[in-house]
Amino acid sequence: MKAFARRMVAIDRRIIFLLIAAAVLVPLLRPFGLPIKVSPEVRAVYDYMETLPERSVFLLSFDFDPSSKPELEPQAVALLRHAFRKNLRVIVMTHWLTGTGLADDVVSTVAAEMGKQRGTDYVFLGWAPGAYALVIAMGQDLYTAFPSDYRKIPTKDMAVLEGVRSLRDVNYLISLAAGNPGIEMWYVFGKDKYRFEMAGGSTGVMAPGLYPFLRSGQINGLIGGLQGAAEYETLIGLTGTATAGMDAQSATHFVIILLVVLCNMFYFVLRGDPGRSR
Amino acid sequence: MPALPTEAVLGAWVATGLTLFIYSFLYKDNPLFKLSEHLYVGVSIGYSVVLAWHTIFLRLLWEPLAQAVRDAPSEAGSYMLLLPASIGLLMLTRFVPRIAWLSRLAFAFVVGFGSGVAIPRTVSAAILKQIEDTVQSLAPTGTGGYSAFMDLALPQSGINAIILLIGVVSVLFYFFFSVEHTGPGRVAARTGVYFLMLAFGAAFGYTVMSRMSLLIGRFRDLITFSGAEYGYATLILLLVTVLSLAGWELAVRRKGGKA
Repeated sequence: MKAFARRMVAIDRRIIFLLIAAAVLVPLLRPFGLPIKVSPEVRAVYDYMETLPERSVFLLSFDFDPSSKPELEPQAVALLRHAFRKNLRVIVMTHWLTGTGLADDVVSTVAAEMGKQRGTDYVFLGWAPGAYALVIAMGQDLYTAFPSDYRKIPTKDMAVLEGVRSLRDVNYLISLAAGNPGIEMWYVFGKDKYRFEMAGGSTGVMAPGLYPFLRSGQINGLIGGLQGAAEYETLIGLTGTATAGMDAQSATHFVIILLVVLCNMFYFVLRGDPGRSR
Repeated sequence: MPALPTEAVLGAWVATGLTLFIYSFLYKDNPLFKLSEHLYVGVSIGYSVVLAWHTIFLRLLWEPLAQAVRDAPSEAGSYMLLLPASIGLLMLTRFVPRIAWLSRLAFAFVVGFGSGVAIPRTVSAAILKQIEDTVQSLAPTGTGGYSAFMDLALPQSGINAIILLIGVVSVLFYFFFSVEHTGPGRVAARTGVYFLMLAFGAAFGYTVMSRMSLLIGRFRDLITFSGAEYGYATLILLLVTVLSLAGWELAVRRKGGKA
C-alpha cells in the first residue's frame, strides 16, 4: 500500500490536468442535464426585477473585462433579456476601460435579439474615468458625467433617459463585478447616498466576501459566478451558456473532491515515511 | 447556414490559436506560450491607451473645450477645463527631476480629495453598517409573527445571530496578541481559528468554482470554433500546436539542452 501511495503522490501533474480537461470536455459534448437549484440570493434579484413596473429605469454596470467573460457575460445576457422582456429602460455603463468593447457587444447583441432600439429602449454610456468620483458625479447630474453616449450621441434628449436627472431616478442597479471598482464601490458612494435599490453579480472568487453586504441588506441579492448565472437563466426560462456549463462544473468539482480525498488518504498512509516529501 | 463574415472567422482563429498556445504552458514553458503572453500584455496596454486617449483627452477635454471656446471665446468660464488639465499635466513633471516637486501639488489634490470623500463614506457603509448587523436581537420574529430563533435558513434568526457573535468575538480575540492565549483564552482563540478555517475553505471552494468556470468558457469556445463554419480552427490549430511543441522539444534535445 505504501509503495502505491508513494507512486500516486509523485504522479506527473499533467495527468491531473488531463483528468480535469476530460471532466470539462465530456459533459460539454454529452450533457447529463443535472437539475439546477435556485438559491434565495439569486431569486431575490429576479423577484425584485419582476416587481418593477414597465419603463422603470434599470442600470447595469459592467464592472469587468474579457478575462472574467465566461462567468459574468452569461449573467449580463440573462439580466438584459429579463429587463428587455419586462420592457424596462436599460442604462448600461462600465467602470473598467478594457471592458468597454465587450459591454457594447453584449448589450447590442441582446437588444437586437429582443427587438429593442438604441436611444429609445436602452443606452450604452461607455466608460468614463473617476470610479467613485464618477458615481458621485452621476448622483449629482447624469448629463454632466456622461454628456454623450459611447457612440457620441448627446444624452440630453434621449427618449430612454426621459425624466432621469441623476442616480436618484434609477429604480434598480446591478453591478456585475470582477473586482474594484465594483459592487462595494457602487454601494458606498452610490446607494448609501442616493438611495436606490441595488444588487450585485460577481465572479465566484469575490462572492464569499460579498455575503456580509447581502446579510446586512446593503445589497438585496447576489448572483455568484457561473452557477448564479445558470440559476438566473432557470428563473427566466431560458437555456443559455451558463446552464450548458453546469454539468461540466459539477463533473470538475466531483473530480477535484475525489483527488483531495485520495491525496489525504495517501498522506495518512505515508505519515512518518521518510520519502514522503519527495 | 449563411457563411460567417471574414472577421468572425479570423477572430475565431486568433482566439483559438492564442488559447491553445497559453494552455501549452501546462506541458511546460515554451516559445508558443511566451509569444501569446507577450501579445496579451501588448494588446491590452495598446487597447487601454487608445481608449483612454479617445475618452479622456478627446471626448472629455479637447472637444468640450474647443466647443466652449468657439461658442464664447471671451468668457472666462469657457477655459474652465484647462484647470483640471493643468493639474493632470503637473503629474508628468515627475519625469523632469528639476521640477519634479510640482507633481506633489497634483498628488496632494488627488489624495486630499480621495481621502475626504472616501473615509466618511467607507466608515459609514463598511464598518458602522456591518457592526449594526452583527449586534442583533436574539428573539426575532419571522413572517406571520412566528418565533424564528432556531430557523437556520433565515439569516436574521437568533441561532445565526449567536453563531455570528461567537465567530466575530473569537476571531477578534485570536488577533489580540496582548494577552497570552492560555486557559479560557486558548479556547476562544482556537474557536477563532476554526471560524477562520471555515471562511478560508468557503473562499477556496468558490475560487475553484470560479477557475473551472473560466476553463469551461474557453472549452466551450474551442468546441464552437471546431465546426466547419469556422474552418475547423480548433482541430487544425491543435495539430499545429502539438507538432510545433514536438519540433521544439526535438530541436532542444539535439542541441543537448534541457527543454
